[in-house]
Amino acid sequence: MEAIRNAFDFSDFPRIDLVIAGALALFFVVFPLSPHSSFTMATMIQFFMFSIYGMGWNTIGGYGGQVDLGKAQYVGIGAYTTTVMLIRWDIPFWLSMPVGMGFSVLWSFIIGYPLFRLKGHYFAIATIATSLVLKDIFEVWNFVGAARGLGISPIKYQPPDFLRLIFKEDIYYYYVILGFFFIGILYLNWFRKSRLGFQLRCIKDNEDVARSLGINVHWAKIKTYAIATAFVSMVGSFHACYVKNIEPEDTMSLDISILIALMAMLGGAGSLWGPVIGAGILIPLKSYLKEWLGAAAGLVGIDLILYAVIIMLISAFEPRGIWGIVQKVRRRKRR
Amino acid sequence: MEILLGAISSGLLLGMVIALVALGLTIIFGVMDIVNFAHGEFLMLGMYTGLLTAQFTGVDPLFTLPVAAVVGFLLGILCYSGFVKFLLRGPVVAQLLGTFGLMLFLRNLALLIFGSEDRALHHGILVGRSFDVGMGIIIPATKLAAALLSVLSFVGVWLLMNRTKVGKALAATALNGQGARYMGIPTERMNNLAWGVGGATVTVAGALIVNFWSVNPFVGILFTMIAFAVVALGGFGSVPGAFFAGLVVGLIMEIPGLWDFLTYLTDSEWMGQFPMTSLKYMWIYAAYFVIMVVRPRGLFGWKQ
Repeated sequence: MEAIRNAFDFSDFPRIDLVIAGALALFFVVFPLSPHSSFTMATMIQFFMFSIYGMGWNTIGGYGGQVDLGKAQYVGIGAYTTTVMLIRWDIPFWLSMPVGMGFSVLWSFIIGYPLFRLKGHYFAIATIATSLVLKDIFEVWNFVGAARGLGISPIKYQPPDFLRLIFKEDIYYYYVILGFFFIGILYLNWFRKSRLGFQLRCIKDNEDVARSLGINVHWAKIKTYAIATAFVSMVGSFHACYVKNIEPEDTMSLDISILIALMAMLGGAGSLWGPVIGAGILIPLKSYLKEWLGAAAGLVGIDLILYAVIIMLISAFEPRGIWGIVQKVRRRKRR
Repeated sequence: MEILLGAISSGLLLGMVIALVALGLTIIFGVMDIVNFAHGEFLMLGMYTGLLTAQFTGVDPLFTLPVAAVVGFLLGILCYSGFVKFLLRGPVVAQLLGTFGLMLFLRNLALLIFGSEDRALHHGILVGRSFDVGMGIIIPATKLAAALLSVLSFVGVWLLMNRTKVGKALAATALNGQGARYMGIPTERMNNLAWGVGGATVTVAGALIVNFWSVNPFVGILFTMIAFAVVALGGFGSVPGAFFAGLVVGLIMEIPGLWDFLTYLTDSEWMGQFPMTSLKYMWIYAAYFVIMVVRPRGLFGWKQ
């Protein structure tokens, strides 16, 4: 009970934030009822997916300060578990999603145990390496379709199929991912005030002090890594049902890992709203830049150039992200 | 036996070139503790420099190396003083993502300018020639020249780092930047120099590689990952380490060829089914992972 009350307790934020957040939440709920194009709808779903990925990354990368650039491998594990179980044994989504999360957490223990002895850059590059190893294995593994990937054929099922999460209209997917989104926010709100959350922030600030205070640093990191993994894997499973066609290249590539980390950093790593703000800016930007510029003849790559310039500017001049700017402005006002 | 010798010799030759690719990364990392994701993109630009200079001026690709070195030196300094300098103030995550942004920028700039098709050199004194040493060892002239020049570059950089005053200043900056500044070493200039030398070595490597490897704007990331593996294996910041680790990685890259031969020799069912060729690069990443776990300092590393 205590935990649930904590999860719903946002009282440490200023009222203006809560008003904005509430208005946005209301907007998210009523958005599909208003007239919209299918492109906007797809962008919104992408936005929710990436904000949940970002929330996952934020637990270990933001609160814990351990830069993980291999999150895509868990997207892959979640997506492949769901697809394989659905295709081969007709196991519904709501059962295969927890199983996928289980696999992901297991894999995160296997690689997390040795990896968390590394720090900083070393840890970051090592997570990339594990991610690439897993991707290479999936690309040759015939059981999961090798490099061709796997497709869920929607003809076999009767949409709307709520058990297997096979729909024709995007609106159903929208509400499912919106539900995950709200659960994610509440969970993180509990997490940042939990014992583990405080331990992590202590580890981030000074690991030696944390150890001398009796915190089991290694174990705390592994536990948080497992939590982050579960988040990512959950959305990975959703991704499989939503896209219906998964390949190693578009579920496990390095670009996705980086995008996840970038999202959280752009919004403000280590804050509750950071990943949401980051995803809210980057995902529409990416989709629309691609739509407007990428399709124009002779300008291949110019959308990604702009996108790269934004990354470079943010990381060079405001590494604490947009939330960092907001807080800076507030602090100045209070003075 | 002959096959084995052939594989080892070609692995070693490739390894020397790979070592040269990783040399720039290890210098940059050693001096300023920053991981450069754009390293492979520098290489890609070096490859384009070599290719285009050779095509436009008509000189042999081997003589484009000085041009590549100058371009790389300027590119390195430009990247450092225009961008990376600002990253150093921020947290680790900003540094990682910042150089990743640089990589994305350079890659797509190249895509915009050069287009996405593969390009390769088809002329030159060395292209297509090879020496048959006997015992199954056949050495392509391009790779031999590349390997020799790589060794030369290594000796040059090693001498620069260990036998000159500038090298001492670089080492001092690497060990303790603040202390070096108190001693009157212009650390900012040293950082610039590290990026310049790092960029120059990698673009030279690119101009060498383009003799036997076709180039497109997406070639960078593969070499970035290989270079990371080499640097981790040899120890971050260690010049001799990068050389020996390069040889090891070159040998690892020859495993699939040997595997195919063994399959043919023993005619075994499961070996033929095992998709070794597709897993070519996985062994490098796996070796990297194991090294990081067992000995994070690398074989020759001095930074923890």
